[in-house]
Amino acid sequence: MKRIILAFACVLLMASAAVAASPKDTFVFESYGTVRTLDPACAYDVVSHQRIMNIYESLIFFDGSATDKFAPVLATEVPSVENGGIRDEGKTYEFKIRKGVKFHNGNDLTAEDVAYSLKRHMVVDQEGGPMWMMLEAVAGVSSTRKDGKIIDGIFETIDKSIDVKGDSVIIHLPKPFPPLLAVLAYSYGGVILDKEWTMANGGWDGTVKNAAKYNGPAFGAEPLQKIANGTGPYKMVKWAPSNEFIFQRSDNYWGEKPQLNTAIIRYNKEWSSRKLALQNGDADRVTVDAQYLTEVQDMDNIKLFSVPQLSVTGAMFCQKINPEANPNIGSGKLDGEGIPSDFFADINVRKAFLHAFDRQMYIEDVWNNNVTIPTTPNAKGLPYSKEEPVYEYDLEKAAECMKKAWGGKVWEKGFKMVITHNTGNAQREAAALMIAENIMSLNPKFQIEVRNVDWKDYNVAYRKFQYPLFIIGWGADYPDPDNFLTTFMASTGVYGKYMGYKNEEVDKLARYARFEIDPEKRRDAYYRMQDLWYEDAPGVILYQKVDHFAYRSNIDGFIPHPMLDHEWENLKLLKKN
Amino acid sequence: MTAYIIRRLLFLVFVLFGVSILIFGLLSTFSPERRAAAYVTTPKQAENIPLIIQKYGLDKPFYVQYGKWVEQVADGNLGWSLVAARPVAQAFWNYFPTTLELNLFASPLVIIVGIWLGTMSGVHRDSFFDHSTRIAAIVGWSLPTFLFALILLMVFYGYLDMFSPGILSSDLSLWVANNPDKFVRYTGMYSIDGLLNGRLDITLNALSHLVLPVVTQVIVVVALLMRVMRSGMIEEMNKDYVITAKAKGADFKTIYKKHAKKNALIPVITVAGQLVALSMEGSIAVEVVFNRQGMGWWLAESATQLDMPVLMSVCMFVGLVFVTSNLIIDIMYAYVDPRIRLH
Repeated sequence: MKRIILAFACVLLMASAAVAASPKDTFVFESYGTVRTLDPACAYDVVSHQRIMNIYESLIFFDGSATDKFAPVLATEVPSVENGGIRDEGKTYEFKIRKGVKFHNGNDLTAEDVAYSLKRHMVVDQEGGPMWMMLEAVAGVSSTRKDGKIIDGIFETIDKSIDVKGDSVIIHLPKPFPPLLAVLAYSYGGVILDKEWTMANGGWDGTVKNAAKYNGPAFGAEPLQKIANGTGPYKMVKWAPSNEFIFQRSDNYWGEKPQLNTAIIRYNKEWSSRKLALQNGDADRVTVDAQYLTEVQDMDNIKLFSVPQLSVTGAMFCQKINPEANPNIGSGKLDGEGIPSDFFADINVRKAFLHAFDRQMYIEDVWNNNVTIPTTPNAKGLPYSKEEPVYEYDLEKAAECMKKAWGGKVWEKGFKMVITHNTGNAQREAAALMIAENIMSLNPKFQIEVRNVDWKDYNVAYRKFQYPLFIIGWGADYPDPDNFLTTFMASTGVYGKYMGYKNEEVDKLARYARFEIDPEKRRDAYYRMQDLWYEDAPGVILYQKVDHFAYRSNIDGFIPHPMLDHEWENLKLLKKN
Repeated sequence: MTAYIIRRLLFLVFVLFGVSILIFGLLSTFSPERRAAAYVTTPKQAENIPLIIQKYGLDKPFYVQYGKWVEQVADGNLGWSLVAARPVAQAFWNYFPTTLELNLFASPLVIIVGIWLGTMSGVHRDSFFDHSTRIAAIVGWSLPTFLFALILLMVFYGYLDMFSPGILSSDLSLWVANNPDKFVRYTGMYSIDGLLNGRLDITLNALSHLVLPVVTQVIVVVALLMRVMRSGMIEEMNKDYVITAKAKGADFKTIYKKHAKKNALIPVITVAGQLVALSMEGSIAVEVVFNRQGMGWWLAESATQLDMPVLMSVCMFVGLVFVTSNLIIDIMYAYVDPRIRLH
């Protein structure tokens, strides 16, 4: 019996030893992101985006690391005013479609497929999906529905906005929309499908009459949720959710043949396990969170890239706090036991908080110098990013501002309030604690409690104006100042409105710059908005996210891009030596 | 006996109804916004929370929402799992085999090793063996599973480069994915499917991936069973019938193997049954550290993200497992102790 057990153990050991190191023509990437859907009309997360963009292709893609320059993919050239591809003062875009491109199922790519795909994504427009970008450009609305009902004539508008003319596809816009190319370069609207295949698999039948039937599917009911057929360099072999996703090189890819035959993206939530997989060569790349960076820096045979992302986190002052049964503002009055709902409407209070944030210490102690802090929400790497002055860390100045605030009543009476951050985010917690402690050091009558809140609850509460100061991040939907400055500053912006911040000039500039095609006029408008960020001090920018890409040293070909975060991998560029 | 089993199985319907009401009620205490937030991944999407509430009727009264859920389940639709990105029923068959495979190897080992160690400890009370196993049991029971799993991972995979985490090695996983016609997933468990498909290499590879998770599971769980068995043995060994047997000069091995051990098994069956039932929920620590996403991972992620259809279905499944395991335990009582009769 003992011999049998011993022999079995030896066989297991041999089986285990034979496992080591990923195969030579295979790339193994271990990460913890999960895919929600493969339907390009509905995918609105970076993990799904990565899978989709290696299987499907768009008309254009980012050129190298640039955010404002594009390279043609399924289009033969990037439309511009110079080549006549953009005309009618920015209201018409013409894309000439590449010939000789085949889908994975062998069907040829046609201009008809392109027009169908662009329309189909907007027709589908899942609740909470990414199609608001294309819809805003093409139809001037952010959804095909209003109050749960389909907007009259919306499908006709979508249908008329995209034409096929010979081998070209023409997009007609009601107004110029300069970020259009940036939107089309990502998977949030620009992915091209095989019309015949999509229709055969239950996708939109291409008619306006029946469009409503395909509109707003429930989560999981989208027909392309788990199947894929693109023109991209890789096809999907297997998707076992939260286990592994396997790509295989497509034999009929029109472009340069990628070196790697196969790629496995494996779910692995535990850092120690990921790290050991990288160390032992079982993984060619793993996702590294900021807190583990030093562990990877000490490892041999590893290439590490730290890439600042178009993702900004800030502490936002709410100037219209909800006073109803709100435990975060104490008594709701400036009586030393709470704060009034418009506490932050006084710019002196805001400036005091800004002076209480020690940027240098935050960079060094919290981030180990592995972070950048932009001066405005227009992150570094975006067009028209401008370096503004900052309210330097100075507690004396903070005290001066507090003495002026509310006619001296703040200093005299003191206040109590709560700063919240989402649970599990150490960097946000550190920022909240730093601000709270520095403000409390100004006057013993100032009392701030820092609390953590589960992310899902946080997301609900700040939208109900319950937090006097909410700490939140924003990642780019498309690399354009419109997606950041409007979000943070306009009174209708996703965060601007929950900050209760309203400046007529800002709103006017945001509306104007979004549709302005003259780059210089756009630049001036966005520069002015950034000046106003400094002048009005509506929030504290805490950091710009930096993602870390750790590869085995025998992997080449990675091109960093600020739009493409740590879940991204452009498989066709990779080479394994 | 048959009437008893049928009665108990009928009782199951009421248990499941009770569990569903309880879980649905608990989940309904979360605000509609909080439940809608489960569908949201970005702040921009959060803007659609009111529309999501409307679409899925999350603001409707409890009985309306529960009625809708019952109606769906009656139609065979358990809902959509956001966490698994699959219908709940399909996702269940993705995750359950992983958990079952681990327990298929771990549970018999837990029971055999636990009973053996407990018996030996009880019989040789206060010996060196007894003290050693008791200390090991205390350490095993007190050690956080997560930490113990990590230690094993670091030592075996980190330093010795053996027993890598995961379910199957990359090359074999690729082969299986590329050859669906040559490798049929009969059970979803590679160790079994390898045998059924005549691929011993896949079975051995899958088993090599199971070594560390199984060792972790056994060491952490065996302690309780061992302690119960030991106590039972000590109690039985001091009873009059054992003393009489000893006085009559019966063989010591016969006394504890044939008489005392059988009697000491009653509480062990209860504990073992509960442990096996509990293990069907999966172990989040083992699954995360050894990268084997099963029921434990799925349930934990679903609870974190408030994936209601999953929580409902998995809790019902757990209820089903516990009722069934209790029934099996009762039947085993009758087998082990002829004095017990099931009516």
